Amino acid sequence: MNKSVITEETVLQELKKAIVETLNADESSIQPESSLINDLGAESLDFLDINYRLEQAFGIKMARHFVLEHIEEMYGEGSAIDDNGQLTEKAVTLLKIRFGDKMKDLEPGMDMDEVPALVTVQSLAEGVMDILNSVPESCEKCGKSDWQAEEGVRTKCGSCGEPAVFRNGDDLIKAWLTKVQEEKKIF
Amino acid sequence: MMRIYQGVDIVEISRFNKTFLKNERFVNDIFSEKERTYCETKKNPQIHFAGRFAAKEASLKALGIGMSGAGIDNTFREIEVIQGKSGKPLLSFSGWPEKISNKRNIIQFTVSISHSDSYAVATVILAGQDVYNS
Repeated sequence: MNKSVITEETVLQELKKAIVETLNADESSIQPESSLINDLGAESLDFLDINYRLEQAFGIKMARHFVLEHIEEMYGEGSAIDDNGQLTEKAVTLLKIRFGDKMKDLEPGMDMDEVPALVTVQSLAEGVMDILNSVPESCEKCGKSDWQAEEGVRTKCGSCGEPAVFRNGDDLIKAWLTKVQEEKKIF
Repeated sequence: MMRIYQGVDIVEISRFNKTFLKNERFVNDIFSEKERTYCETKKNPQIHFAGRFAAKEASLKALGIGMSGAGIDNTFREIEVIQGKSGKPLLSFSGWPEKISNKRNIIQFTVSISHSDSYAVATVILAGQDVYNS
């Protein structure tokens, strides 16, 4: 359910701004389906920069662990990556549920280091939206349900001005994995 | 039989400084306390931080762990470059890199770092025991 007062369009716009500033890219070259690595030429320092900018802009905390890492932690050694460092069938099933068509090229047996090239502007924006949608029903300080978007990006209580406290990216990934496992019994 | 994994990375110091100087969290997110202590005692800490960053990136390449948005800073911190008694840099893996290293049966690793005023470069070689073909 979309609870965020910040729209996906705003997130995409802010992400494009972060990419333009970090990569000196031409904004018109940044499409939702653009791969950050293959199409926009992002390197590790760029990913760090973009993450910092998004965290600062929206007041959020992005995930600190890879989805594959969470899968292995929750469902055991070898559940996501086999002994050759390749994706398992179950990991691919999960990633396809999570990212849909945006990661349609995923295949079991793919090397783990091929996955990051599949990260697109849209998939990154959706990760940010997930966190923004975890805004609590009401303000922890005054109890009112009156979230507003300050300067379009910062979620604050319209009644007392307290900034919203979101769930962090790692907790949301774990909650999502638990829900999918309950529904689909993948492991 | 042994299997050899190699990774190399080059860091442009001016590009590194752009992220380093702009984000207060960067140093603590990416480098361990030992790494910070070592680099901060040097005349030009940023060059040494950049060298260690290159070594971490080269390790990711050798291990076959790609880098992307989520998880990148944590994974960098889990690769630590420490100083041996002779001053030679040594690698230490924990967390996810250690798990991948174990999956690949890595039994030996070496790292080499070099830098000029403009660039820092590092190579990492990992030797893994090939349990399937030995």
